[in-house]
Amino acid sequence: MSKILPLQDAGPGDNSLTAFDVEKVRADFPILAREVYGKPLVFLDNGASAQKPRAVIDCVREVYESYYANVHRGAHYLSQRSTDAFEEARVTVAKFLNAKTEDEVIFTSNVTEAINLVAATWGRKFLGEGDEVIITEMEHHANIVPWQLLREEKGIVLKIAPIRDNGEFVLEDFKACLTPRTKLVAITECSNVLGSRVPIKEVTRLSHDQGALVLVDGAQGIVHQPVDVQDLDCDFYAFTGHKLYGPSGIGALYGKWDVLNTMPPYQGGGDMIERVTFEKTTFKEPPYRFEAGTPPIVQAIGLGAAVNYVADLGMENISAHEHGILAYANERLKAIEGFKVVGDAPDKAAIISFLVEGLHPFDVATVLDRQGVAVRVGQHCAEPLMDRLGIEGTVRASFGLYNTREDVDALAGAIEKAKELLA
Amino acid sequence: MSTELSNLERYQEFVDSLELIDDEDMRFEYIIDIGKRANDDDFPEVFKVDANLMHGCMSKVWIADRIEDGRHYFSGFSDAIIVKGLVTMMIESFSGLTGDELQAITAEHVRHLNLGALTTQRQVGMMAMLEHFQKLDRRADESQAAE
Repeated sequence: MSKILPLQDAGPGDNSLTAFDVEKVRADFPILAREVYGKPLVFLDNGASAQKPRAVIDCVREVYESYYANVHRGAHYLSQRSTDAFEEARVTVAKFLNAKTEDEVIFTSNVTEAINLVAATWGRKFLGEGDEVIITEMEHHANIVPWQLLREEKGIVLKIAPIRDNGEFVLEDFKACLTPRTKLVAITECSNVLGSRVPIKEVTRLSHDQGALVLVDGAQGIVHQPVDVQDLDCDFYAFTGHKLYGPSGIGALYGKWDVLNTMPPYQGGGDMIERVTFEKTTFKEPPYRFEAGTPPIVQAIGLGAAVNYVADLGMENISAHEHGILAYANERLKAIEGFKVVGDAPDKAAIISFLVEGLHPFDVATVLDRQGVAVRVGQHCAEPLMDRLGIEGTVRASFGLYNTREDVDALAGAIEKAKELLA
Repeated sequence: MSTELSNLERYQEFVDSLELIDDEDMRFEYIIDIGKRANDDDFPEVFKVDANLMHGCMSKVWIADRIEDGRHYFSGFSDAIIVKGLVTMMIESFSGLTGDELQAITAEHVRHLNLGALTTQRQVGMMAMLEHFQKLDRRADESQAAE
């Protein structure tokens, strides 16, 4: 992890002055060598799900080929070997987040499950009628609907912190939403649509001052920047593996152990119990209390491999590389006549939502696809944000660690092609 | 019991035209051209109501059904050009059919209209349109029976 060289001299997307060799990185991702419709694949849909490096693919294959068995039932060699690898992945994730201990890391299937877990356990136990939960206007449905369900059930109040028209999160506006009734702030670290970043550390400080806990939806945040949960001081942090170059079906919920230990189980079943009788069941301590049934064993081990992969590259290096690509993309795309960026906050990650004047986003994305450029189109599971911005949807290019200036050029060329074909 | 399918001349024209184009990109552009040439006046604003809206589409799609002498005449609109091209192909292909004929149209017919130029998602969209036509026919039967 000592591969970081001075980055300040690097031009936008120019990797020549850094240790981050994007061509070497690209060679780690077999899928990037393929073509679609006879054209080189330009994958810009990383915000939906990222591609997998050989380290992850090989790791998953190795588990199945060499030592797969169920975990925590160690009566035989393979089970012990699988259990060791599974728990090692938990340690890897804990270190990556800088959690105090691996017992603060619960494996979940994704961020959606992690947020539902907090709502269903901590929320049901500690929230009552009139208690306030604050979210923002730019949340993913996964950080809206669980709280609405709880509102139906418990009568909590859901408050929506506003964003500015350019997609910027403004701390002062958020602060105005906090009251002594605020019990939880459930907030994205980075908008999946706009790329706008939220200053989580300040949000946490202000929220704690009011006695509220903070849950961070890190689905888009953790892939673009280093995360240190102790420094952020958040109470919960959720992320998913498949956006972090790991397998699908695995994510993690970090929670401060003292908070987790106050929470009742999420689901009942095997592996989360201490002792079961027909009269009464007692439960394990966190994190196992929240992991009922056979966990996603191979996916968790694969997530460990993905975390090791990005940690080896260095999140600071990845962040700097992507920042360069974003700067170049902004410059290149905004020069296209009729190109309109949606979300232009001063502090944003490498995500560009856009519209092309006079063209339907669906048409644009379809032509882009025919040019080999994979993007996402639609509301991006953020319908309230679309309503807030007064639009029906956007085309979204979300960049990852393996994207290059050439990818941006291909995107720009494909947008010009869309204009030519559809005008 | 199989229904004799007639009145599929327009459908056959589309299939023949697409078969003549052996380049996938050209077929794709053919669909775009159909969308661009579609006459928006055929689907007036008053038709763009929720009752005519097809749900579950990534772009908005409205379909209206007029029945004359026991035959269905569809019209449709989408705010996206490519979808409008597909809608036009579907409504022109399967207008003028009786209810029985319409119900006899299968996924295979729709697949012939694709010829590899479309992603699976678009093909699913076209299948959804066929199912929508067939649903409109059943609904017409039901309301006739209720009268």
